[in-house]
Amino acid sequence: MSTATVSHHYSSTGLENRKIAIWAFIGSECMLFVSLISTYLIYKDRSVVGPYPHTPWTDPSTGHVYHAILNIPVTSASTFILLMSSLAMVLALSAVENKGKPQRNLGERILGNSKLWLFMTALLGLGFLGCQAYEFTSFVNEGLTIKTNLFGSTFFTLTGFHGAHVTAGVIWILTMLFIDFKRGLGPADALNVDIMALYWHFVDVIWVAIFTLVYLIR
Amino acid sequence: MIGSHRLRRLAPLGVAAVLALALAACAQSYPNSTFTPHSDLGRSIDFLWNRLMFFGTIVFVLVEGALIYVVIRYRRRSEDVTPPQTHGHVLLEITWTLIPAAILAFIAVPTVRTIFQTQAPAPANSLVIDVYGHQWWWEFRYPQYNFTTANEIYIPKGRTVDLVLHSKDVIHSFWVPQLAGKRDAIPNHTNHIWFTPDSNMATTVWNGFCTEYCGDSHGEMHFRVVTVNPDQFASWVTRQQAPGFFSPPPAPAAPAAPAAGAAPAAPAAPTPAAPTATPAQLAAYILPRAEVPDYAIPHTPFPDAIKFDDKLQGDPAAGEKLFVGAGTCNACHTVAGNPLAVGMIGPNLTHVGSRIAIAAGMYVNDKPHLSRWIKNARLMKSGVLMPTLGKGQYDPQTKATTPSGLSDQQVADLVAYLQALK
Amino acid sequence: MATTVIDTIPAHLKPFVPSPTPATVTTEKSTIWGWLTTTDHKKIGTLYLFTALFFFLVGGLEAEIIRAQLGGPNRHLVSAETYNQIFTMHGTTMIFLAIMPLSAAFFNFIIPLQIGARDVAFPRLNAFSYWVYLFGGLFISIPILFGHGPNGGWFGYVPLTTKAYSAGINIDFWVIGLQILGISSLAAGFNFITTIINLRAPGMSLMRMPVFTWMAFVVQFMVILAFPVITIALFFLMMDRFFGTQFYEVAAGGDPLLWQHLFWIFGHPEVYILVLPAFGLVSEVLPTFSKKPLFGYPVMVYSGILIGFLGFGVWAHHMFAVGMGPVADSVFGVTTMLIAIPTGVKIFNWIGTIAQGQFKATSASLFCVGMVALFTIGGISGVMHSSPPADLQQTDSYFIVAHFHYVMFGGSIMGLFGGIYYYFPKFFGRLLNEKLGKWHFWLTFIGMNLTFFPMHFSGMLGMPRRIYTYDAGQGWEVFNHISTIGAYLLAVATAIFIYNFFKSRVSGDAAGPNPWGAGTLEWTIPSPPPVYNFAVLPTVTSRYPLWEGKQADIESARINQQSGKTAEQLGIAIPYGTIKPLLAAAFMIIMFSGLIVGHWLILVGAAATVLALYGWLTSPLEPEHH
Repeated sequence: MSTATVSHHYSSTGLENRKIAIWAFIGSECMLFVSLISTYLIYKDRSVVGPYPHTPWTDPSTGHVYHAILNIPVTSASTFILLMSSLAMVLALSAVENKGKPQRNLGERILGNSKLWLFMTALLGLGFLGCQAYEFTSFVNEGLTIKTNLFGSTFFTLTGFHGAHVTAGVIWILTMLFIDFKRGLGPADALNVDIMALYWHFVDVIWVAIFTLVYLIR
Repeated sequence: MIGSHRLRRLAPLGVAAVLALALAACAQSYPNSTFTPHSDLGRSIDFLWNRLMFFGTIVFVLVEGALIYVVIRYRRRSEDVTPPQTHGHVLLEITWTLIPAAILAFIAVPTVRTIFQTQAPAPANSLVIDVYGHQWWWEFRYPQYNFTTANEIYIPKGRTVDLVLHSKDVIHSFWVPQLAGKRDAIPNHTNHIWFTPDSNMATTVWNGFCTEYCGDSHGEMHFRVVTVNPDQFASWVTRQQAPGFFSPPPAPAAPAAPAAGAAPAAPAAPTPAAPTATPAQLAAYILPRAEVPDYAIPHTPFPDAIKFDDKLQGDPAAGEKLFVGAGTCNACHTVAGNPLAVGMIGPNLTHVGSRIAIAAGMYVNDKPHLSRWIKNARLMKSGVLMPTLGKGQYDPQTKATTPSGLSDQQVADLVAYLQALK
Repeated sequence: MATTVIDTIPAHLKPFVPSPTPATVTTEKSTIWGWLTTTDHKKIGTLYLFTALFFFLVGGLEAEIIRAQLGGPNRHLVSAETYNQIFTMHGTTMIFLAIMPLSAAFFNFIIPLQIGARDVAFPRLNAFSYWVYLFGGLFISIPILFGHGPNGGWFGYVPLTTKAYSAGINIDFWVIGLQILGISSLAAGFNFITTIINLRAPGMSLMRMPVFTWMAFVVQFMVILAFPVITIALFFLMMDRFFGTQFYEVAAGGDPLLWQHLFWIFGHPEVYILVLPAFGLVSEVLPTFSKKPLFGYPVMVYSGILIGFLGFGVWAHHMFAVGMGPVADSVFGVTTMLIAIPTGVKIFNWIGTIAQGQFKATSASLFCVGMVALFTIGGISGVMHSSPPADLQQTDSYFIVAHFHYVMFGGSIMGLFGGIYYYFPKFFGRLLNEKLGKWHFWLTFIGMNLTFFPMHFSGMLGMPRRIYTYDAGQGWEVFNHISTIGAYLLAVATAIFIYNFFKSRVSGDAAGPNPWGAGTLEWTIPSPPPVYNFAVLPTVTSRYPLWEGKQADIESARINQQSGKTAEQLGIAIPYGTIKPLLAAAFMIIMFSGLIVGHWLILVGAAATVLALYGWLTSPLEPEHH
């Protein structure tokens, strides 16, 4: 027979509520990005005027020559930075989970430093955002704005949504870092850090899809 | 007793038969019915509809019958009885899954076949009509015959017509229920709907409607389709191909007597005039007004707020001058043959006098309605681009009264001109 | 059938026996502040119920105006512009502000009770969902009072709703309002998915859950997968209208069909979101009043799941007239026919539930039988639309209006009314008056058929949709006249219901824990339930604990029904009431309204929302306990 009180962490699955909720949230966000990416792909090659992503274009009314707008080398670098931030996030989570265990050498001390890895995650995330900001401003200077054509509207909206998600993630990570400084994070916080990590990896995976479909595939 | 039993079973059938007869007998009071197809496409659709109705009726009778049966047969008669706690029945589940699936197969197969048949490219010798949807009127071009008209088309019986649908603004949809299904007119898209009106059908008018919500006056965006014999069609085409002509020709204006002592007036610069009709053009076919069925004649009353002196007589020649002058009609409208009247914003008016209706089928084409339309179109039809032309008229879009504009006499002249453009 | 030891069970806990009428009704005194700060799913469900019924009346008034205008040819009760606002808001109100929230009222109140939980997984998020709905509903509904109501139809097709063709703020309110309402539904979706997965009482496997909770479960998945798509569609339109992007701009190569595809990828699952909860309610009511379990429980569950999946694969059947080409037409025609199979199977199983039973006609059960009868008609006309060539005559005509009112009114609304009569005692501890309820049912049933059946005819006789008037002599007058009479009858029926609702809240017969002799967990606790729901969390050994349960189930039911103790006495932690969800909701709406008022307000509103969220996330949900 059940007791009068219920364990605060009683659950039918053994998982915490927040874990299930974050997965549902990620599933929903997938549909969000699928809609954005699908629109981009449908409108690819349908812009009436340039500039275009992969091919140069001469404006018939001004004679101005626009080169292909996308810069693969720069974006490859920013992609790498974002991927490295996911690695840093993995290490941060591991550090939080293993807090309190003996650290026998310098290597273990470095790996077990949650503040370091949270900081690195945020830094690399900001680095990615910096590259995006540089990219966007250079596109605008070269004549592609969100209003210019279908490519501009779909490209900036898609990457802008993604960038907004990265920004939200960075704020989340910095908040977690602040808490780590204030009272320290330990195994009791592992679930919260895990959830944050799931979100962060999801945002990274979406970027891989965007990079492939928008930048790499012609 | 056997007799009454049979009677009770036959009675519902009898009622249904009477109702069906009543409905069929009243067919002519349903002028937009989809149940009486008059084309090949209409018949293909009707075949599918009949099959759907057949199965639908069977399912309806069986399911509702079963529901009524169980609710009555198994009604609670006593609070002490515990019924058998049945949890399900696998065989039953399978049966009532497979039977609907089979019924659907009977629907799916002819459906797919019909889709591919009716969406194949139109036959090569079809009559092509380019349809342009506008807010809230229909532009029709006959590219093979090189003319443009609006809101009313004639098509020959027995010849396939391929309607090529475009839109100049928002999404509209082209529907003539008695002739065919509908198809949307979407900007940046070209859609087709083609069908062959029956050879042996009546020479008559069919109502057409816009069937995609397109803003304020979506409910008043009608058109007319007139099915005629091939010779009548050819004759009508020659009329449409001709530039706007006066029918009847206007009386020549008497020269004004010079005032005593005044210098003789310099001759006025000649304005381009609508040519008067040739006998062939006067004889070219339009459906006689007496043969237009009542349902194709709009009965929309005009607003009381627009006052007009219906007794005024208009002068078509004066109206023709106003058309390209104070009336500014040529800013939006074309009358073929008049190089000053090439506006492309509103309907082509070259032969507007011979149309059944005005304002995209909203008002009947007669003097009182046309007069008020010109005087204050905005009060006659919500949201239209056409300005309120009359003087001292309330413009519902600017919410102000027009300080200047056309007088009633000027309107009457314009009406006389337009009504002469047959 | 489970073996229960009948003789030792208290009389009122024997299967099918209603609980005795209590002497008094336990009423908790609540303050306005208590309602504004509540995080209790039962209070939130009650808020949803009242607000949804209010908006149902608003939508009904809009319908009456429509029917008054269309009762005869060439009428001018309202102008074309006003009419277009009214039919737009009628659809928008009924779908987003009446039917969905009525379902939400039951999700909120009933799901935790049915699965043996004390509350939902995220009580404050739950409150947030409600306040966002209320504020968003007001945001989208008030403009029509000033003549600026949304007027692009509930489906808002472009290019009509782009700035070029709808220059006023009407569409701005619509776009922003729907975005706001979407957030409410999404938040609730995450909440209920987590709740149903994770908070079921010990022994309640998924295949022992009541079918209402199952249907709600499927609905929440549909919500979280469908709403993001309309979020994007609306975002594109918002960007076009406010910031000059090109998504739907024809001159830039934009395709109006992009909007249609995105909208209907959301829109079709949305209609299953609207009807599945009613299916679930019928699946609770009919077994209770037939005194036997639901026929074919596993099939009912699997068919619901299948409808959820297939519902995402039929969307373009709303687009058969746009010229997608024969392949797309054929594919979507066939998938639409396929979805009729799991839907039809449910109808047969409900009939099978009543068959061999001891069916009692009460207001609740009559509405549910009416639902089955009327949804069948709507389903048949739906199959008729599924054939694309035939649909070329039917689409955009009143035949479609008939179809969806049969499934939405005859289906969703009838089922929801059945649920109201059934669960009213659980919500409020009193019974609705049965005599008035039967009047309500019969007048509704007759009125509904009078209103909507003639529309099958006027549609197939050529009457297009969304027209503010029609000419005489087109063959439509008789049908429209009958429809208008039916609509007036529906108004009378609804008035009877509203009177019954408010009168019974005050002076209805008292109801015990289980006035219907039902079998599921929500009936093992008092009516209305105490704040903690269950004094002891039940262990579940069957689908109908009170009918098929073992001794332990009956024991915990007896404890729970008679407990009378407070949460403190039982040592149960109750979440704090807090105003922060309401504040976060209010600030968020203010942020959105900055798009219309001025962009500075977006920043101010965003900052305030973030602050409210921060306060919310850093305060504890409930008191610490040991």
